[in-house]
Amino acid sequence: MPHVPAEDEEPFEPRLRPAGFPPSFGDGPGEADAVLLLACLLGITPRVRHEVVWHEGSATGAVAAIRGGARGSDNDRQFLRGADPARIRKRVAVAGARFAQPGSSEYWPAFQRLDDPPVGVFLRGRPLVLGHDRVAVVGSRRPSAQGKDVARSLGQGLAAAGLVVSSGGALGIDARAHEGALDVGGTTVAVLGSGIDVEYPATNRHLLAEIVERGTLVSEYPPGVPAEPFRFPARNRLIAALSIAVVIVEGVARSGTRSTADFATQLGLELFAVPGPVSSALSATPHELIRDGARLIRGVADLLEDLGIDPSRRPPPPAPDGLPANQHAVLDALIEPMLPAAVARAAGLSIPDTVSALVQLELRGLVHGSGGRFRSALVREAARTTAVQHHADADADPR
Amino acid sequence: MYGRVLGMTVVGVGGRAVAVESFVGRGLPALTLTGLPGAAVQDARERIRPAVEHAGLEWPLRRVVVNLAPGNLRKEGAGLDLPIAASVLAATAQVPTASLTGLVFFGELSLRGEVLPTPGVLSVAIAAAQAGLAGVVVPEANAVEAAQVDGVRVIAVADLSHVVGFLRGTWEPPDVEVGTQRGWRSAGVDLAEVRGQEQARRALEVAAAGGHNLLFVGSPGAGKTMLARRLATILPELTREEALEATQLHSVAGLLAGRGLLRQRPVRSPHHSISTAGLLGGGSTQLRPGEVSLAHRGVLFLDELTEFRRDAIEALRQPLEDGHVVVTRSSASVTFPARFTLVGAANPCPCGFRDDPVRLCECRDDQLARYRAKLSGPLLDRIDLRLSVPRLTKHELLGAAGGEASTVVRTRVLEARERQLARYRDNDWTCNAHLPGPLARREAALTSAGERLLGDAVERSALSGRGFDRVIKVARTVADLGGQARVDVGHVAEALSYREAFEPEDRAARAS
Repeated sequence: MPHVPAEDEEPFEPRLRPAGFPPSFGDGPGEADAVLLLACLLGITPRVRHEVVWHEGSATGAVAAIRGGARGSDNDRQFLRGADPARIRKRVAVAGARFAQPGSSEYWPAFQRLDDPPVGVFLRGRPLVLGHDRVAVVGSRRPSAQGKDVARSLGQGLAAAGLVVSSGGALGIDARAHEGALDVGGTTVAVLGSGIDVEYPATNRHLLAEIVERGTLVSEYPPGVPAEPFRFPARNRLIAALSIAVVIVEGVARSGTRSTADFATQLGLELFAVPGPVSSALSATPHELIRDGARLIRGVADLLEDLGIDPSRRPPPPAPDGLPANQHAVLDALIEPMLPAAVARAAGLSIPDTVSALVQLELRGLVHGSGGRFRSALVREAARTTAVQHHADADADPR
Repeated sequence: MYGRVLGMTVVGVGGRAVAVESFVGRGLPALTLTGLPGAAVQDARERIRPAVEHAGLEWPLRRVVVNLAPGNLRKEGAGLDLPIAASVLAATAQVPTASLTGLVFFGELSLRGEVLPTPGVLSVAIAAAQAGLAGVVVPEANAVEAAQVDGVRVIAVADLSHVVGFLRGTWEPPDVEVGTQRGWRSAGVDLAEVRGQEQARRALEVAAAGGHNLLFVGSPGAGKTMLARRLATILPELTREEALEATQLHSVAGLLAGRGLLRQRPVRSPHHSISTAGLLGGGSTQLRPGEVSLAHRGVLFLDELTEFRRDAIEALRQPLEDGHVVVTRSSASVTFPARFTLVGAANPCPCGFRDDPVRLCECRDDQLARYRAKLSGPLLDRIDLRLSVPRLTKHELLGAAGGEASTVVRTRVLEARERQLARYRDNDWTCNAHLPGPLARREAALTSAGERLLGDAVERSALSGRGFDRVIKVARTVADLGGQARVDVGHVAEALSYREAFEPEDRAARAS
């Protein structure tokens, strides 16, 4: 268990820290090695590390100060005693990873705007292109089926519009958002809360491997660092800093999702939230954020509109034109997850005809069934009003 | 000083004739049993003398040797008490030897000479009739069972003195009422009582019509058990032959309690803590039929299917495939018939609330994957119909109509069964579920639109090879229910809707 110093462990000459890093940081003899060593320290918080760097004015100075016992933990001193930058570089290379320090092409400038910027990041996969706009899609690790669908369609829509989807590589919403982007041949960035080569959670190992191939993995931690709960909030600040906007899909109250949203607010990013049923615990965070001023979105169309993304860059939505009449009626009737019997009533069809239409729509990818209920894969704005009317009629009927 | 009578022992479900010879000779008073008697038969040595003396008869105070032939067959059960006693009585000339010809004796004795109810009487009577014997002497309590068998006279005895009286010609056994054993009887539940759940109700109808196995997946309280219990109410009534088969198994298990033929298809619903031997059959000495055989010609309902012992549910594959189960122990290997409709019910995930409209599911994806892996692919492959039974919201429940009554649904099921019987009259199978996979396509006679939809499903990898055959068989049944000669697109679509539940749902799970 590594020692984690509390942030205010000892008052270290309280002074206002400027943003970013000192001009000579990472530049000069021994500096690059010193930055790498600093990045490998696990017994010191990013904030304290940043303070030491500013206090000493350089990476070599910071390493010397920590080695000398002025700051940092015993673990760090022990690590620095045996540390060999060349061996660390080799280990990083063996993991298929690379290291980017501030100022290098893959160190995202917005990281420097953080209160406690990372002294460097490790990366795997494709280069992190600075010109790309990234949108973060984050949410619960245990989402509802609807939440998963929304996350996936957001991932698909953003990637199709030429944006890069960023998220945390975790289970649930994160995984769906990454998958959505990969589905349509887009690219995606996952920021890990573990060492750059640690595939966590194991369930996502196939997904992470796919991201290495077609996107980028980013981590503040060197190879071999296990995933631990306290690393996830730190990871979340990088997700926010990498992105131009953050979308919250589902999250229970006081969740890690909330922390990503808070970082987004601190960084002045656009914050979006997808609403859910008021009765669901998973709606707590998005609804709270909406009340606090986050922008409500109903789907990817709203998001792209608000971001000012040219819709012509989007591929046309799957055109339901030419559908048989029954399937059309069923699709129109599906305004929420519904039982086949309810769909049949709303669409004015027999149950067998409805089931038949639902199955055929499912094969076309326009409808998803799970747990006995079906829902539309499309956000069909035009159909919504008429379908609501149908539904209201059905409700009024006391059958 | 020699006597010989015919008894029977029950091996598996069949009665096997045992010649019981007695020799009373010089020596100290003792009773020796030879010819591979089992533990229960050994006990007879102590029981028979008091029983004989209590009936006012004489026990020879000499050395008695009783031999059970054939000597290579292990004899089990207390049913040999009566023939052993009769044999000793014959050897001591207390009953006329001539009166014994053509009779089989079967029954357990009490110390007071009463003839006690004994499991397996129906099997004994069937075997006796097949062997061309004239009569069976059986416990009065089991007489109705034996009376179901044509061509053999039933001598119902309550006491050893009755047996002696009958053999001496001084006592006439009462006539045994066969009873009105045919005809469908209400099970006390009805499909009309289920509100909403139209899809699940329809799936029951399809299962009943085509003999398909069924799996309901849904949250606690969704009504899975309520639905499953109503399957028997829409199944065709037992034919006499089927009733005899099923009753025989219940007789051997000692579950008939004095009744005659089963009138309703049996519904067995063992608890998930049941042992493999309890489910499949077994036991250390006498091999007893398990729940799969007690559900023969009926319904085996396994609630909480995922909670059963893994080896137990995996062992279901044999009876599901072959319609019988082979139980092998050191003592013997027997075959019990076990052709049943399996109805399974399972929660969608460990906490039970996945996809629930109100409660939040608390399971992680990896927990879900582990849970779903509890049911193996080969087992699921033998379950043609799988569907989600959603827990209804209050709103949905209030809006739901009560459904058709069981008798209405049953009429359609019977018509569909007739069509299958006519189509398969020259084959070994009688319903679509038992259709061999390669033939399913031919029998389906798909229309071109139906063919296209199936092709689409395969292309979108919604169907595996096995899944393909399953969908065709189910579609065939749906078409039979509609009275259609060819399987059309609507039938295929409905069949496709019964495939989704319990499939892995994630990319990661599919990839691994």
